[in-house]
Amino acid sequence: MDIQTTGLTRRFGKVTALHSVDLAIPGGMYGLLGANGAGKTTLMRILAGVLPPSGGQVRVGGHDLATGAGRLAVQRRLGYLPQDLGLYPDLSPREFLDYVGLLKGLDDTRARRRQVDELLELVALTEVAGRRMKGFSGGMRRRVGIAQALLGDPALIVVDEPTAGLDPEERVRFRTLLSGLAGNRTVLLSTHIVEDVAQTCQYAAVMAGGRVVYTGMVTELVRVGEGATWEVVTGVGVAPPAGVVVSAISRTDGTHYRVVSPTRPSADAVPVTPSLEDGYVALMQR
Amino acid sequence: MSEEEGERVRGSGVSGMSELLAVGRYEFRMQARKRSLWLATAVLATVIGVFQGPRGPRYLPADAPAPEVMAGWAMLFGIVVPLAFGMVLADRLIRDRRLGTAPLLESLPVRPGLLLAGKYLGGVAATGLPALLLMLVAGGYETVHRGDPLILGWAVLAFALVMLPGLAFVAGFALTCPLAVSAPLFRVLFVGYWFWGNMLTPDFLPSLTGTLVTPIGDYQASWLSGELALFAGVPGWLNFLRPEPGAGSALLSIALLLLLGLLPLLVTHTVLARRRHAA
Ligand SMILES: Nc1ncnc2c1ncn2[C@@H]1O[C@H](COP(=O)(O)OP(=O)(O)OP(=O)(O)O)[C@@H](O)[C@H]1O
Ligand SMILES: [Mg+2]
Repeated sequence: MDIQTTGLTRRFGKVTALHSVDLAIPGGMYGLLGANGAGKTTLMRILAGVLPPSGGQVRVGGHDLATGAGRLAVQRRLGYLPQDLGLYPDLSPREFLDYVGLLKGLDDTRARRRQVDELLELVALTEVAGRRMKGFSGGMRRRVGIAQALLGDPALIVVDEPTAGLDPEERVRFRTLLSGLAGNRTVLLSTHIVEDVAQTCQYAAVMAGGRVVYTGMVTELVRVGEGATWEVVTGVGVAPPAGVVVSAISRTDGTHYRVVSPTRPSADAVPVTPSLEDGYVALMQR
Repeated sequence: MSEEEGERVRGSGVSGMSELLAVGRYEFRMQARKRSLWLATAVLATVIGVFQGPRGPRYLPADAPAPEVMAGWAMLFGIVVPLAFGMVLADRLIRDRRLGTAPLLESLPVRPGLLLAGKYLGGVAATGLPALLLMLVAGGYETVHRGDPLILGWAVLAFALVMLPGLAFVAGFALTCPLAVSAPLFRVLFVGYWFWGNMLTPDFLPSLTGTLVTPIGDYQASWLSGELALFAGVPGWLNFLRPEPGAGSALLSIALLLLLGLLPLLVTHTVLARRRHAA
């Protein structure tokens, strides 16, 4: 299901969370990057039909989200993981997934139970499947959230920071899982972890202050950092160089800084190959 | 999977009946697991059962008719037990915001009215169950005490006619009012209302006591027992709501209580729908 927004705007009182956003998201895995408050969650809530826009148009898989029928048609094929998803403490993961499955219209009891069990296995929650979720750790809750988003074989998966709060191993496992699902689906992934996008997405958009400041291939985003990423070595106790320091490692010969700056930060700065993070930081500096 | 295949796996889902039952079932399950529901019901019922005054059903003469005895128990429990139910139900709707389950629920292909209706059904069922159990315990006690095997049947009937309509009425308000006034304030107001609207002598202050819209079930109990249960039909404020007790007025009271309980749900549904569409 492809996503098409034109002039999409959302205001909250005086705050404009989305400023006339034009986005065309094809199938496959698509990354959404942006600082805190950039508008990622607002965009995703609109796509999930949870929040109405203040202006502009959204079409998902050809359905107009402004109409009730269009919204319902999209929601039937949607898997959505909200940021900060809450769970019912008095249900077990198995019951919670069963409940969500029923509301997603999975009426065949046996098929639904089988799918719930498969998903619990997939997110490694089988052992606690029957335990009440009260007292579950952040990572366990997130895994329940990911599992419910995959119920009903959705054609569009919208996941808002799915890997936040997961340990590194789980994070890698989940982003691989999501990108594996992306084959014939659309997976929209928002995150602060640039590495997750670098490892899974061919295309990405970057948002800042409610606007889309970049859309395109992830490899192109890396190239924004070309000619703007430097390594500088300074003696111990010397002030860091100008520009955005993306890393600082102390070694015996001094401190090695990786710096993103449009101009050479110091005479002895050496240009280096940018990573996606460098490209992202360079973009944010513009 | 193609679009059509996806639709087939999901069933028709046009009527929304299975979704409604799913919400009702899971809401019931979650509420029935609240220990406070059972504890409060048991404590309140024990206190009122043990310390009932000389007018209580336990002290009715040995030859008192079974319907009168069980209507008496239903009224007795009705004095305090619905207080616990109102307290428990007060956070059921608003907690979806607090817990953070609301965004997910709103993203599911289910009409919002259906979620509301399911929560209402679940709430009525979850408070009806302990109430029914109380009546069965009282009925069991009276069966032993009075030796009338039919008494358990009257216990169930008294539950259905005297208690259930009032519980549905309470559920409608307890679910929705906290959206407007917050749960703690609602709980305080509800206790005040319960005594004012059910038990306060009508000639003391203007009150809804003894009217058709008295959720404790005054009219239904008076009809079942053939005696004045509390104040049904006693002249007072809003006299048009105080007809003679009897079968007709009892059924009218049931209908009014059920409709009044649905009213706050309808209002909430309309207000929430308008808010959703206003961006
Ligand atoms: N319900 C709301 N009421 C008022 N303002 C809101 C609301 N939701 C979002 N905003 C505002 O809209 C802007 C965008 O918020 P949004 O949550 O979409 O950002 P985000 O990119 O998801 O941020 P983060 O990375 O921190 O999750 C922020 O300024 C935020 O304060
Ligand atoms: Mg966000």
